Amino acid sequence: MHKNYSLHINKISKRFRKQLLFRDISFSAETGESYFITGPNGSGKSTMLQIIAGVQKSTAGEIFFSRGKKEIPAGERFSHFGFTSPAVNPYDMLTAAENIRFASSGVKDEQIDEMLSLFGLYPHRSKHVGLYSSGMKQRVRLIIAMIDSPGILLLDEPSSNLDSAGKDILFSEIERIRKDTVIVIATNEHDEIKLCTKGIDIAEQNL
Amino acid sequence: MQSRIFKNLRKDFLIEFRNRSAVNISFAFAGITTLSVSLACGGATLSPQIHSVLLWIIIFFSGMSGLSHIFIREEEERTSLFLALHSDPENIYLSKLVFNIILFSCITALVTPLYLFFMQVVPAYTVYFILTAASGSLAISSITTILGAMVAKAESRSSLFTVISFPVMIPVLWISIKLTSDSIEGGAPPELRSLLFLLAFSGVIISVSYLAFKFIWTEQ
Repeated sequence: MHKNYSLHINKISKRFRKQLLFRDISFSAETGESYFITGPNGSGKSTMLQIIAGVQKSTAGEIFFSRGKKEIPAGERFSHFGFTSPAVNPYDMLTAAENIRFASSGVKDEQIDEMLSLFGLYPHRSKHVGLYSSGMKQRVRLIIAMIDSPGILLLDEPSSNLDSAGKDILFSEIERIRKDTVIVIATNEHDEIKLCTKGIDIAEQNL
Repeated sequence: MQSRIFKNLRKDFLIEFRNRSAVNISFAFAGITTLSVSLACGGATLSPQIHSVLLWIIIFFSGMSGLSHIFIREEEERTSLFLALHSDPENIYLSKLVFNIILFSCITALVTPLYLFFMQVVPAYTVYFILTAASGSLAISSITTILGAMVAKAESRSSLFTVISFPVMIPVLWISIKLTSDSIEGGAPPELRSLLFLLAFSGVIISVSYLAFKFIWTEQ
């Protein structure tokens, strides 16, 4: 699958007006590595992931995605990573399958059904997502992030709102794909940190 | 790029079809105001200028209630991040623009015949009349799409939208009213260059909006 992706974060800083959120954060991860970002609430873990995903701008610093020796241009990154966060809300008026189809790049209906079954949502496939519980919505978010088998997977609090069965499914999926994927997890959960090979405490970096 | 625009459009129409809020409000407003104007006039003979002003006021305010909705809904339902993750800003802008053009064309196509029927107006230059309605609708849609994106990030969105739209719309409304009036009145044919101005205006607005949209859309 993906054996040569790498992610390089070089001295990223983020400031909201006059308030400094974090400063000079640098790290790198390659395919097969799982990286955690931890830190107290409000330290900027989610913001950091959103900056990596390209939906927020950093105040300073650079981010490089590359596949092999070739850098992936900013405009093409969408097709190379999966991202999930509690801030990413699927459309309430669409079904889970419609949301997944909207977000994916041409996956077949069988693949969608397969993922819905894996995450226990197949019996609810014809309901609008607005009728789902928060745990079920989190499962939809995870499917959306993983459906295209991205080379880089950015997970912000991936097990939030999940019950123990949901966490088991998530962790086994991460175990399954980790050899072929760069995984970055923003979390304070020990179970999720244990899945990772290395990481940073974003608050300690700011000292 | 085309498939992504098509996906966005399909999603917007699917949600709108299930929700029907923007379409229902716009169509209800258009129908009620047209009927109210015709009842208020009570069969009085109005000049082409007055007909033209009334028609564009109804079209303008019918559109205002629905056109900003396409971006505001993404913010209110907190789906803008989901959308931003899966579409380039340019694709988002073009799909929302096409949606607004289709919606506003439908509103114009509903209001105009209703108005002509209730007010018993027969345009002297039917082709010019239709072209003016189409060009004016395109110009209004192109302005409201980018303004909708801008106000979606602000508080008091809906009221702010109408307030800031109006000054930008003045040249469009002015020319559309003049052309519509000339089309109804007859006499010398309406000026083609005014029609071209409306199309050029739309072209400039769409081009500038396309280039500027990513700076409006991306969180700072």
